[in-house]
Amino acid sequence: MIVLEKIKEKAKELLAENKVEVVLGFTRGTLPGKCTPYFARKVDEVENFVWEEGCNHNLANYLTKLSQKAAIIVKGCDSRSIINLIKENQITREQVYIIGGTCPSTGECPDCQHQEAVIADYKISEGEGAIEDSFQDVLEFEKLSPEARKEYFYKEASKCIRCYACRNACPACYCKECFVEENLPSWVGKTTGIGDNIIFHLTRAMHVAGRCIDCGACVRACPMGVNLSLLNRKMLKDVQEMFKNVSGLSLDTELALNEYKQDDSQKFLIGGE
Amino acid sequence: MKKVDKKIVAFLCNWCSYAGADLAGVSRFQYPPHLRIIRVPCSGRVDPLFIFTALKSADGVLVSGCHPGDCHYTSGNLVARRKFALVKGLLEFIGIEDGRVQFDWISAAEGNKFAQTAAKVASEVDNLPQWDRWGEK
Repeated sequence: MIVLEKIKEKAKELLAENKVEVVLGFTRGTLPGKCTPYFARKVDEVENFVWEEGCNHNLANYLTKLSQKAAIIVKGCDSRSIINLIKENQITREQVYIIGGTCPSTGECPDCQHQEAVIADYKISEGEGAIEDSFQDVLEFEKLSPEARKEYFYKEASKCIRCYACRNACPACYCKECFVEENLPSWVGKTTGIGDNIIFHLTRAMHVAGRCIDCGACVRACPMGVNLSLLNRKMLKDVQEMFKNVSGLSLDTELALNEYKQDDSQKFLIGGE
Repeated sequence: MKKVDKKIVAFLCNWCSYAGADLAGVSRFQYPPHLRIIRVPCSGRVDPLFIFTALKSADGVLVSGCHPGDCHYTSGNLVARRKFALVKGLLEFIGIEDGRVQFDWISAAEGNKFAQTAAKVASEVDNLPQWDRWGEK
């Protein structure tokens, strides 16, 4: 538990010296094996932190809702979300103190590529580097016939009850006014009919395309078990293949859809190229 | 029974493709009546949401803008190009036919190309199986 001791020590130091007003981490949840986000604002609250299997929420989501200076205990996915949030001017680098470690909860995400924090002010552990993503699930799905793919997607979309838990859990979905709730104009139908659901899911996938870091927060949040990662990972694969871009790894690169090249692929045109 | 023409929503940019459609009309080039043209300021204005929503009540979508390098706003169509490439891949991924949603660049001088493209897209959409309008029909 040397890592946890390091976390507590650093968190206490930051709070005691008033360097930050709050430290974001995890504490034990009400169910065994599940951890819940925890905001430590006083030195003695730091003792409640844990760092173990079950700490899999993406804490970066809370940074956009905080106005105080905060420290955050991150694993690979949270750190990549933080990079994207800084790049999109949602938070400033000075506003957040990053305590970076290696993900303690890989049980739920066996295919995780970036377990180790990619950005940190203070490192609590040294992990292994990134693993190349093979996109095996996407490739398998692409092998199916168009009819089978359509049937599967329609079935998944029809499960959705439009609770928007996926959007609320997603650190990339920080818009104050989301298109799904706008009424003038009403961009997308509010019913749980198959058509409205499909339009919602396709548009959601496009909104996070090139920004999603595949943390799986949406999948964990979904009460209906919709396979949300399928569309996300398809976009991830296309962005990587077409634009040679993986988001959330460096503060210096531009996000894929915020830039363009003169020789971008035009295969999608009539006649192709 | 009278054959009902299929509907295709065409998003045309104000500066090139819409003028190209106008030129096709002024030049009296013939093309099928499937198209319902919506004029947008730039192909960059075409949100993927527009395309998905159009498919709720139409059988096909055509999106057209200025050729790369000719954009009235310098880079609107270049930014849109990346987005469209992803949209096309996404629709193909969920099993939507290739001809259902199509993209092209048509300039204001290409009235002939506009008529040809409209005819080509119309015949392709005609030949596709009946569109289920996202499962609602």
